[in-house]
Amino acid sequence: MALRELSSLEKYLELKKPNKYSTQGDKKVPVLQNNNGAPLVGLVTIARHLVKEAKRTELLGDSAESRAVVHQWLEYRVTRLNGCTKDDIKTILKELNLYLQDKSYLAENQLTLADILMYYGIQPLIVDLAVQEKEQYVNVTRWFDHMQHYPGVRRHLPPVVVLRNRIYTGRHH
Amino acid sequence: MTKEEAQGATEEEQQAQSKKGQKKQQKEAEKAAKKAEKQAKLAAEQQSTEEDDFAKDRYGMPAMVQSQQKLDRALVRVQDLTPERADQLIWLRARVHTSRAKGKQCFLVLRQQQFNVQALVAVGDRASKQMVKFAANITKESIVDVEAAVRKVEQKIESCSQQDVELHIERIFVVSQAEARLPLQLDDAVRPEAVGEEEGRATVNQDTKLDNRVIDLRTTTSQAIFRLQSGVCQLFRDTLTTKGFVEIQTPKIISAASEGGANVFTVSYFKTSAYLAQSPQLYKQMCICADFEKVFCVGPVFRAEDSNTHRHLTEFVGLDIEMAFNYHYHEVIDSITDTMVQIFKGLRDNFQTEIQTVNKQFPSEPFKFLEPTLRLEFTEGVAMLREAGVEMGDEEDLSTPNEKLLGRLVKEKYDTDFYVLDKYPLAVRPFYTMPDPSDPKYSNSYDMFMRGEEILSGAQRVHDAQLLTERATHHQIDLEKIKAYIDSFRYGAPPHGGGGIGLERVCMLYLGLHNVRQTSMFPRDPKRLTP
Repeated sequence: MALRELSSLEKYLELKKPNKYSTQGDKKVPVLQNNNGAPLVGLVTIARHLVKEAKRTELLGDSAESRAVVHQWLEYRVTRLNGCTKDDIKTILKELNLYLQDKSYLAENQLTLADILMYYGIQPLIVDLAVQEKEQYVNVTRWFDHMQHYPGVRRHLPPVVVLRNRIYTGRHH
Repeated sequence: MTKEEAQGATEEEQQAQSKKGQKKQQKEAEKAAKKAEKQAKLAAEQQSTEEDDFAKDRYGMPAMVQSQQKLDRALVRVQDLTPERADQLIWLRARVHTSRAKGKQCFLVLRQQQFNVQALVAVGDRASKQMVKFAANITKESIVDVEAAVRKVEQKIESCSQQDVELHIERIFVVSQAEARLPLQLDDAVRPEAVGEEEGRATVNQDTKLDNRVIDLRTTTSQAIFRLQSGVCQLFRDTLTTKGFVEIQTPKIISAASEGGANVFTVSYFKTSAYLAQSPQLYKQMCICADFEKVFCVGPVFRAEDSNTHRHLTEFVGLDIEMAFNYHYHEVIDSITDTMVQIFKGLRDNFQTEIQTVNKQFPSEPFKFLEPTLRLEFTEGVAMLREAGVEMGDEEDLSTPNEKLLGRLVKEKYDTDFYVLDKYPLAVRPFYTMPDPSDPKYSNSYDMFMRGEEILSGAQRVHDAQLLTERATHHQIDLEKIKAYIDSFRYGAPPHGGGGIGLERVCMLYLGLHNVRQTSMFPRDPKRLTP
C-alpha cells in the first residue's frame, strides 16, 4: 500500500528514475536505500525527501505556519488514519469534515503534500461509504472529489463516484 | 413483715421512684386528651360540613350503567365546544386527561378522542369544597359525565384543542373509574423523541406502547393514524367502484401457496393441512376468468417470513386489484396509479388535521406526487443507481438500501415520492408473470414505490394455460397442486394484470413514519402475537 503510494507520488512529482523500496517490520514500514547516506525509513520521511529531490518544496508549505500545518496533517495521516478501527473512521470523518468546512485544501490555499497523502490514505474509507454518508460528510467528499480530479494525483486509485447534488435534504430517513 | 406491709412499702418506694414518671404520664395523658379533643372537633366539623355539603347531589359515583333508564340527555361532542356555544349549559361525556387541584379550584383537561378542553370546578354557589376535592381525586383516564357552562376565555388555552372556551363544571359523575396506576402516560407516549432527548423527558418505547396498545391507541397520534387509515380504505373503495370494479371476498384458507412455498403458514385442516393465503392472487385471477373484468379485494394477507424489520408484518391488510385489459398492460398501471393518486389527493384534502397531528410527533415532509404518475423502466433505475456509484447486475433484484437510494435519486430528479418501476427482470418475479415480448430476460411486471419503499408489486399475468404450465415447471412448482388454477385458463381467459398493496405500508409511508407497527392496530410479527 505505502509503496504504491510512494510510486504514485514519484509520478506526480515527475521524478525521472523510480526508486526501489523495501519494507521492514510487521507493519511494513517503507525503507528507501539512499545512495549517499543512511537509509530513509517511514512514509512521511521518504515522501518529504522525494518532494525535496523534485525541487517542489512549496508542497511542504511556503510559510513557517503552513509548514507546521502540513507537518501536522502528515502526522495525522500516519498516526490516526493508518490502521484505524471502525469507530475511529466516524471520528476521523467528523473531525475532517469540520476542519474542511471553510477550506479547499488542508493547508494554505494550494495543494500540499498533506492533501496528497491524506487523499491516498482516506480513499479506502471513502470507497466504502454509502451515498447518504458521503452526503453527511459533505466537506470531506468535496475535498476528496477535488483531489481525485487534481491533475496527476489520482494515479493508482480507482475513481469514486460522488454526487454533486444533495439527495438527503429532508428529515425523512 | 406482713404481706400488706410489704406491699405498702413497695408502693411507697415505687411512688417515690416514679414521681417523675408519673408527671410525664400525666403530661402525656393530657396531650392525648387534647389530641382526641381536637380530632373529635375535626370529625364533628367534618360531619357537620358533610351534613351541610349543599352540593352532595352534584357529584359522585352513580350505579353502573346497566341500561336501567333512557335518559333524555343530549351529550355534546368536545370538538363542538366553540365560542358559538358560549354561556350554554351542556352535558358531556369524556375522559379525565389530567387534573390539577389548586386551593379552592380544580382544573381538569377533559379528552374525547383527539380533542380536549379545559374544565374547572371552583368552590362557589354551584360546587362545594367537597366536590372540588372529589374532582381532584378522580383518577386519570376515568370516564366522567359532566354538566357545565361553556365560557369564552380571554387568553387562548394553548394546551387544548378547544382553545377559545373552557367549561365551568356544575355536576360531575364518574361513569367508569380507571385504576390509579397506568402502565404508561399518554403525554409520554405522544412526546416527539427529539423533545424527549433535549429536555430529558420520558418517551415510551415501541414495545411498551404495543404491549399496552389499548391505552396507546387513545393518544392523539394513534387516533389520527387510524382515522387516516380508514380514509385510505374508503378512498380505495370509492375510487375503484366509480371505475366499475366489483368488490370480491376470497378464502384465506387455501390448498396451495401462491408465491413460493417457503414463506407460508401451514394450518392443520381436519385430516390434512392447508395454508393461509399470502395473497388473493389466484382467486382474483379466477374471477377475471369468470368474467368479472375488474375486481378488488380488501382483506388479511399472511406472510410467514421470519424477518424482523421496520416494514414486515406476518399479517397485514392487502388491497388487491385485478383487471382485464384490452391490448397493453399499461392500461392496468394507469388504472392503479390513478387510484393511488385519488387516494393521495383525498388524504391531502380531507385529512389535513390528522396529517398535522401525526406530524407533531413524527415530523416529515408533505407527500409529493406527479400527475400523471412517473413511470421508469427497471433498466433506467439501474442506470441511475450505477451513476451514483452502485454496482449491481442487470438481472439482480433491488436490495432494500438500493431501493431507498433510488427513491432519493428519483425525488431529487423528478420531485416525486411516488413512482412506478416497470419491466423487472423475469428471473426475480413469480411464475405467473408475463415475459416481455421484446426481451425474454425482462417481464411485464412493475413495482410502485412511496418514499423509496415498495408498496405494490404487480404484473401482467400469463393467461395462456400452456405458457403458464411452462413457467410453473421452470419454477419447479408441483403442477398437481395448482391444477385448478391452471385449468381456469383453459376455457378462454382475457389478458389481465393487477397488483397488491399493503395498507399499513401505504399509511406508514404517506405519513413518513418509520415503523409499520405504528400503522397496524394490533401488529403481528414473528415475535408478537398479543394483544
